[in-house]
Amino acid sequence: MIVAERKPMDEIRRMLAPYKRVLVLGCGSCVTVCLTGGEKQADELAAQLRLAARQEGRDLVADADCITRQCDREFVANLKAPLASYDAVLSIACGVGVGFMSEQFPAVPVLPGLNTTFYGAGTVPGTWAEYCHGCGDCVLEWTGGICPIARCSKSLINGTCGGTNKGKCEVKQEMDCGWLLIYKRLKELGRLDELRTLRSPRDYRKDRGAGVRRLTHPEMAVLEEEPKA
Amino acid sequence: MTPPVSKLQEALHSGRFVVTGEIGPPKGTNVGPVLHEAEQYLKGRVAAVNVTDIQTAVMRTGSLALSKLLLERGIEPVYQMVTRDRNRLALQSDLLSAYVFGIRNVLALTGDHVAMGDHPESKPVYDLDSVGLLQAMTTLESGADLGRDPKGNPNKLDGVPQFFKGCCVTPCTEEVEPQIIKLEKKAAAGAQFVQTQAVYDPPVFEKFMRMIEHIKIPVLVGIVVLKSAGMAKYMNKNVPGVQVPEAIIKELSAAPKENLKKVSAEIAGRLVRQMRPMCQGAHLMTLGWDDLVPEIIREAGLAP
Amino acid sequence: MNDGDLTSKDAAKLAATTDLMDRLWAPCRDACPVHADVRAYLEAAAQGRWRDAIDIIRERLPLASVCGRICHHPCEANCRRRDVDDPVAIREVKRFVAELEGAAGATVHKAPVQNKARVAIVGGGPAGLSAALDLAMAGYRPTIFEKFSRAGGIPATAVPAYRLPREVIQIDVDWIVAHGVRIVTGLEIGKDKTLDDLHREGFEAVLVAAGLARSRPLPIPGVDHPRVYPALEFLTQAAFGKPPELGRQVLVIGGGNVAVDAARTALRLGAERVSLMCLESEEEMPAFAWEQREAREEGIDILHRRGPTEVVVRDGRIVGVRTRVVTRVFDENRRFDPRYDDAATGEVPCDTVIIAIGQAPDIGFLGGSSLKADERGRLPCDPATLQTPVPWVFACGEIVTPPGSVVEACASGHRAACAIGLYLSGKTIKLDDSVPPKISTIAAETAKKVTKVSREPVEALPPEARKRNFAEVDKNYVQESALRESRRCMSCGAGAEVLVDKCSACLTCLRVCPFDIPKITDVARIESALCQACGICIAECPANAIIARGWDARGLPSRAREAIDSTPGDGPKFVAYVCGHRASAAQWRGEAKRPPGLAVVYLPSLARLSTRDLLCTLEEGAAAVVVAAVKEEAERYPQAARRARRRFDQARQLLAEIGIPADRLRWVELADAGDEAVYEALAGAAAAS
Repeated sequence: MIVAERKPMDEIRRMLAPYKRVLVLGCGSCVTVCLTGGEKQADELAAQLRLAARQEGRDLVADADCITRQCDREFVANLKAPLASYDAVLSIACGVGVGFMSEQFPAVPVLPGLNTTFYGAGTVPGTWAEYCHGCGDCVLEWTGGICPIARCSKSLINGTCGGTNKGKCEVKQEMDCGWLLIYKRLKELGRLDELRTLRSPRDYRKDRGAGVRRLTHPEMAVLEEEPKA
Repeated sequence: MTPPVSKLQEALHSGRFVVTGEIGPPKGTNVGPVLHEAEQYLKGRVAAVNVTDIQTAVMRTGSLALSKLLLERGIEPVYQMVTRDRNRLALQSDLLSAYVFGIRNVLALTGDHVAMGDHPESKPVYDLDSVGLLQAMTTLESGADLGRDPKGNPNKLDGVPQFFKGCCVTPCTEEVEPQIIKLEKKAAAGAQFVQTQAVYDPPVFEKFMRMIEHIKIPVLVGIVVLKSAGMAKYMNKNVPGVQVPEAIIKELSAAPKENLKKVSAEIAGRLVRQMRPMCQGAHLMTLGWDDLVPEIIREAGLAP
Repeated sequence: MNDGDLTSKDAAKLAATTDLMDRLWAPCRDACPVHADVRAYLEAAAQGRWRDAIDIIRERLPLASVCGRICHHPCEANCRRRDVDDPVAIREVKRFVAELEGAAGATVHKAPVQNKARVAIVGGGPAGLSAALDLAMAGYRPTIFEKFSRAGGIPATAVPAYRLPREVIQIDVDWIVAHGVRIVTGLEIGKDKTLDDLHREGFEAVLVAAGLARSRPLPIPGVDHPRVYPALEFLTQAAFGKPPELGRQVLVIGGGNVAVDAARTALRLGAERVSLMCLESEEEMPAFAWEQREAREEGIDILHRRGPTEVVVRDGRIVGVRTRVVTRVFDENRRFDPRYDDAATGEVPCDTVIIAIGQAPDIGFLGGSSLKADERGRLPCDPATLQTPVPWVFACGEIVTPPGSVVEACASGHRAACAIGLYLSGKTIKLDDSVPPKISTIAAETAKKVTKVSREPVEALPPEARKRNFAEVDKNYVQESALRESRRCMSCGAGAEVLVDKCSACLTCLRVCPFDIPKITDVARIESALCQACGICIAECPANAIIARGWDARGLPSRAREAIDSTPGDGPKFVAYVCGHRASAAQWRGEAKRPPGLAVVYLPSLARLSTRDLLCTLEEGAAAVVVAAVKEEAERYPQAARRARRRFDQARQLLAEIGIPADRLRWVELADAGDEAVYEALAGAAAAS
């Protein structure tokens, strides 16, 4: 799922400085699961903003609300108060939510409360790690299920570079060397031949190289008007 | 067998034990000093001189320019290329530029991540990895490049380059099998010689050399000159795949300050001498102490 | 499991009503004949909110003080704590709370106007008193006609004072009277007035609540001797200070509570030796186990499996009672059908006999009225409507129900008041006795994880000190014991419930529950029979998708606001959230020692205190918030103290982000502390700024 982190508070306050009526809007999907943008976090952030404003002697209405997802228009129907009653929305959904809501509701500025970081999974309680890069051309078939694009700092495709330090990537010591993990796993699976295979340079068209991406299922498109008899 | 495309290739083919050196370009346009060092200490003493490419992700003048300047001074360059900073278009273009400049020896490297250097906020490229770069070189040599024409057919080059293609390997890493597999792939992709990362442990190196017997390309063992015990300890802790034995660290600590350079050279020379029977050459990385090169060569028993 | 999934819309509708808690009842409430909200009053008591506790009790149980002494506590028999260690001593806590400030200590809910019909009630026992209270609160004008000189019924006339002192009964009677109930004593309906007289006098309805005021007679030879006393009459005379003459050796015939009461009363009135003889074996004997035990301790012999055949009189004096052995008391269908072995006979020496073989109704109140007894000499009554053949005459209590306890009589009284109210409003009498589903038993693996706390013992007078006087045998709990005992309540049914439309299946509740209860299928599912109501998951859920059935999980800041507003003083106000599990409470005892500006909110556990609560308490105007914790080992729930500390640190971090200094939130650790220590620590934390 998408993992995101709260932006630094001073950045948020700077963004909201011109506004007097703000809605902090959470999202019930990925950001709830990684404990960054759920209703509880929206409550806490709104309380922080109100306390900060009061401290400065500023007027600020900061409400908190949360909808099931911010990437489909229909969920906005569940808001406690209409968006138009605010001068700004601080969305604490992922970047998709911010962008989508901005598009759907152009009358009110939708500002990002989070920095969206990666696609990840929960490893141990309270920790999420990057597992996928969204490269559009999944190679997990020949890497024993471990993604070299996301889990190798250099996104190499032919094996480790010289920078493996005690099994960890020299770029980030908490990070395992992705290719070492792949090597071990392929060895376990008896598939080292995959590692021996020369992999040609990747086609980056699938990874934004060809521009903004889109998925369409034509069978789900709105039905055309019935032709008149 | 095609004739050697470079003096380095010729030297390695001759069966002589080959020594190469290395210079790093300056951070700025003042190339005088480093060229002077190369002329003074390396010219005529080593078979070729590597020019590092934005080493450790610290921005410097380009290895292409310095390689050309070495060539103009009668010194055989090894043009190092990292894939970190340029996409396949730029890399292929630079390869053609290098050939046009008369440069033949190319060392294909992945390159340290931008996080290690002085521009950590820059965007790492890695469009190709080292294997991909070797593939690119091989492709150019075949008269094509990595792209397609509008009809989808391979492109045809107007003027075809030839290179002596090198790669690197880390013999003293903990998990050695993945390194060996990658080396096999580099050879399959076209690598014709290997310069290793620093080795300080001859028995370990011997074992490694036996494991890559089947990869029949010449290997030059890498030696980084140890400037102090502190540097050795630092490398043990932080540089992956490098293990300086305790004995050498003691030797460096015991050396009085005024004698340090001599001891350093002794150590380097001794290591070359010890590992000489195991490989085809040695690559000396002096980190600016180029003045030690003559001494090291002497210590190694390689002086003419 | 619960009845159906709960969505946030449902929850919003149920909020601020009792309906959330009514989705599932705790077994104590279910077993209680009046369905008192045991869990709620134990929670109030656990926090020292004594007045709230007694008010909750009295919502359903008018005779709170009486029951605090003599209730047979089916609640305790069903308390789920017995599967962990011992059931909660609910009756003892009730006693403490009821007797703490007497009648004045409970809120009186007098109807603003009492101008509806007048209703006469025959009999001032528990059933009649309960019905009268309900009618008065509904605006009717009830008058109780009690033949004895004081109201209270069997509790006042036949339960000995060592078990139920007179003053205790008076607490309940006074509280009931304060609602506008009139009691006329010394007037016997059927003798001084008839039922029809009452109707003529303007009572639009009459409720017969005469109980079982007579002892059943024992038809054996010799029973007409003057020293043979029917037990109820004997006890009543003793209760009014005019006990009949007793010899040296008293034999009580009978195996119920009345028999034991009679025996122990006889002992206290000076009999040298008292024995009790019953048909039943020890296991079958119907008297309460603790009564039997105390009687034996006092030296009363209990002879089992003996039936009386004759009172032997010689020279005009009773010398003994002839007996035969009982072979069985109950038949295969558990019906009373004793069989004897007439060959096995014996004689028990005695000079006084008390007959306590059961109670019977006294239908004297029918005297001179149009209402007649049925062919079995009983008062005819429709059990569904409690109406007799005369439409304005109703009946409730033991006169028409099977013999029962005080609380059962109260339940009957409630029903009667309801029926009468419907009748007087011209509506059909339909009584709804349905109750919500009851929580199931606690699984053994969960029971194992609950922190064991032993039950607070009740101090009793030793047998030698008590057997010659009517001083109360059982001492009251002291405040600390009442607090500790009420904190043993597991809040069955009050725990977490998932709002299925908000749950994102993020697994947080599963990860933080110290009892491993949540299961995640499509959404989180928290089994109410296992949930210990600690509140940890509720405070951690990122989607605010878990609510508590038993409390308002988002209500703490408002509570803090109320506490701030009610704290006197013009200076800065501090709010202390105190872990109520160990900290002592003295809210009812006066504010004298409390430091100025300190508002205290007790929580059953800091597990309930969320990060948001801390921020919002500052928003509500607290100059600083003090969190008063107990050491991890002393916490009621595993890991709660550590979770609370993490949230505290997180709140400080959030405050730091907006430039609010760390000392606006303070953490104080209280050892097992009394009031003074608590206030000292809190004052220290609050003042340091």
